[in-house]
Amino acid sequence: MNRVRRTGLALLGPVLSIVVALVIFAIVILLIGEDPLAALQVMTDLGDRPSQQVQSIVVILNRAVPLFLAGLAVSIAFRMGLFNIGVEGQYRLATILAAAAGAAVALPAPLHVLLIVVVAMLVGAVWAGIVGVLKVTRGVSEVISSIMLNFVALGTASFLLTGPLRGSGPGESIVTTKIIPESGWFPSLNGLLTGLGLAEPRSELFGFLLVAVVVGVGIAVLLKRTRFGFDLRATGLSPSAATASGVDARGMVIKTMLLSGAIAGLIGLPELLGNAHRFSTEFTAGLGFLGIAVSLLGRNSPVGIALAALLFAFLDRAALPLQFADIPSSVVTIIQGTIVLAVVIANEIARRLALRSAERAGAAAGPSGGEGGGSSPPPDTGPDGGQRIYTGVPGEPQGVES
Amino acid sequence: MAAPGGTGDRPSGAGPDIAVPAEDAPLAVELRGITKRFPGVVANRDIELRVRRGEVHAIVGENGAGKSTLMKTLYGMHRPDEGEILLDGREVSFRSPADAIAAGIGMVHQHFMLADNFTVLENIVLGSEPTRGGRLDRAEARRRIVEISDRYSLDLEPDDLVEDLGVGDRQRVEIAKVLYRGARTLILDEPTAVLVPQEVDELFGNLAELKREGLTVIFISHKLDEVRRVADAITVIRRGTTVGTADPRTTTVKQLAELMVGAELPTPETRSSTVRDAVVLELENVTVAAVTGRSLVDDVSLVVREGEVVGIAGVEGNGQAELVEAIMGLRPLAGGAMRLAGEDITQWSTRARREAGVGFIPEDRHRQGMLLDAPLWENRILGHQTRPPAVKGWFIDRRGARADTERIMREYDVRAPGADTLAVALSGGNQQKLIVGREMSARPRLLIAAHPTRGVDVGAQAVIWELLKDARAEGLGIVLVSADLDELIGLSDTLHVMLRGGLVATVDPSRVTPEELGGYMTGAHSAAGAA
Repeated sequence: MNRVRRTGLALLGPVLSIVVALVIFAIVILLIGEDPLAALQVMTDLGDRPSQQVQSIVVILNRAVPLFLAGLAVSIAFRMGLFNIGVEGQYRLATILAAAAGAAVALPAPLHVLLIVVVAMLVGAVWAGIVGVLKVTRGVSEVISSIMLNFVALGTASFLLTGPLRGSGPGESIVTTKIIPESGWFPSLNGLLTGLGLAEPRSELFGFLLVAVVVGVGIAVLLKRTRFGFDLRATGLSPSAATASGVDARGMVIKTMLLSGAIAGLIGLPELLGNAHRFSTEFTAGLGFLGIAVSLLGRNSPVGIALAALLFAFLDRAALPLQFADIPSSVVTIIQGTIVLAVVIANEIARRLALRSAERAGAAAGPSGGEGGGSSPPPDTGPDGGQRIYTGVPGEPQGVES
Repeated sequence: MAAPGGTGDRPSGAGPDIAVPAEDAPLAVELRGITKRFPGVVANRDIELRVRRGEVHAIVGENGAGKSTLMKTLYGMHRPDEGEILLDGREVSFRSPADAIAAGIGMVHQHFMLADNFTVLENIVLGSEPTRGGRLDRAEARRRIVEISDRYSLDLEPDDLVEDLGVGDRQRVEIAKVLYRGARTLILDEPTAVLVPQEVDELFGNLAELKREGLTVIFISHKLDEVRRVADAITVIRRGTTVGTADPRTTTVKQLAELMVGAELPTPETRSSTVRDAVVLELENVTVAAVTGRSLVDDVSLVVREGEVVGIAGVEGNGQAELVEAIMGLRPLAGGAMRLAGEDITQWSTRARREAGVGFIPEDRHRQGMLLDAPLWENRILGHQTRPPAVKGWFIDRRGARADTERIMREYDVRAPGADTLAVALSGGNQQKLIVGREMSARPRLLIAAHPTRGVDVGAQAVIWELLKDARAEGLGIVLVSADLDELIGLSDTLHVMLRGGLVATVDPSRVTPEELGGYMTGAHSAAGAA
């Protein structure tokens, strides 16, 4: 019962924020002189014919997979109180180098894909690792260094694309790397869809979806069930208590950033291996930043992040139909923005409610214990120190308080 | 939230009233039945305080007795859950320090809050600048500061840079800052902690000036001889509540100390000695340096044997916390060596030390002992991440951890609904019992216990003492750091006194009295002994 209650409280934040976002969305649509209900209908309309509906779902899933991976990458760092803002740069750099590596070799199919994946993860990990090393050795805030490294990564990626790794001809409008041979493509899941009796969609459902699911489960197990995950979460909850318990805080920073970066390296792969097969100036950008929003909305839990990624992907898909209905597609961005803003506030409210209910539970359980505490003075720093341990947004760096 | 008022009635007989407020002078500040709770602890309970206008009123109590919480309540930094605050007989309710300042209350913090690269003038006016045409009116600011400085003999030079000033001058800048904002009642939080004796004399001179001008001073301290010198009235706080008032002219330091420490508490006396020959922990010339190069722990050597409780007494801030952290491997040594059962552990990590059988009851359980937002069973794992029953190989054994948490809750009388309860929901005493149970469950050979009964109620305190005694009888070596002198004297087999980072005395706990011990702790044994 206790657990049901806690789950309910955990869901309260996101649900509340989505409701708030919808209200703001309705106000915005009204302000631009359109009908909110009609707009909502356009957004939720996946199509008339079964093939259209399946196509819409494929589009949503294909968008959700990289968003999920991005949210996961951000959340791992969040979980121990690190802000990895550099996911954007990590995945862009990882993707172009992985694309180049994939195009440069010829290997049997599974090995070829594996090579590309490994290269992408390594590049992402190394790029994020720089942030970790700077923090541990020089005390540089990971927020600053990862933002700065984003610029370096994006610049480097542009340079590589237009310079040494350029594969497209001189006159072409889109600059790309060389195409990856077919042995380095990830098979699509369309066969699975038709096998389930669904209509064949126009686009291909990324096979990388399966990899994302495996990674998600892996991370969930790692965080919840392993010693490493415990150390990581403990460090996020209270760095001082974790250190006193024997966690090597510096080592954890490096390991966590490496892990976060390795996952970040995967973000570009669904598209690269699924349909683009080369890195180009047109390659999807901004996933790293969206990942921060997805991670916040998903409250840093893999399941929550999956749901948040699906929601964001659903909203992104609606951009095109909205334009057809003469409603500016930027309302989608407005919704996404307000959701994130609302979620920060709602999480705080939910957290306070959870805390209060926990306190009530504690008081009910030990009346004598609770009352007996009456004669107990806290340590001088106790009251504030105690309260400030559980501050704000999940993943807010706890270090700032000390 | 909770409106002032309510059940503010004070239960009678909380402590002996030595002095009775003589004349019916108007009360500048009156607190009635103030109670302030924080999650898990009650920081202040039924506080009664009467401060007459134009007096220096001292509030004394041990570290952690709740003085600072009380002053924060009076200064509007948080609101009391129960009770009333009266200024000049009128009831007030502060939402923020700004309200308190507007009502004429000023606070001089223990740690100065000054901008180093600003001048005295700029620091004083910062936040309430006199302006003319949208610009800082320096002439007006200077006029008022000079006036304040002359009137209270603060001797301030408005154009000096604060970074060039000494500690005593900075403190006067802080006082001027408060006076500039029109304070009629000043709260000084441990103002002498950072001063050398001559500066203390100057400060007391300034306080006399303030008093002469009709201002009221609330003076927080635990230095009893200073309090007796400067105060007109004394209120003693113990364990979060006011236990009595005293007249400094007729009260001795000894009487005050008894009020502060509370001689009637249950005694933690140990039975016969269980000290064995085998050495568990040996510290050899251990030195810990601060970033500035100053020694926080200075050349400490001590030996802990099996079945022995080695107590370390000292006024807080004399290196005990740093010594404990050094033993736990949380602070690097600047020199010296440490041996655990003969093995050199100087370079070992904290985890290696814990695995080798060092248990740790930290001084601040919220900061170092618990994950407040995690369930109890996860807190059971904390510090034991590499050992069964909580862990199997690389994986967390959830079932094992839950089962063992439930065992601890049973055996150590931790009152909570279950192993899935969040740690924050427990009272301080129950949290502490869980920590003690957790550390004992790993069967350590050495236990580092820092203030093991701080902030827990009397019942839990007795339980924890009993547990420590049992463990000692089974051959556990214990390093006990505490501010509770009765606890130290009662539990210890050997008792060292720590002062300014070094061990200055070793006393026999079976003979020493709290007063003697207090004398050693302040480095003025003869003075305290004579009082």
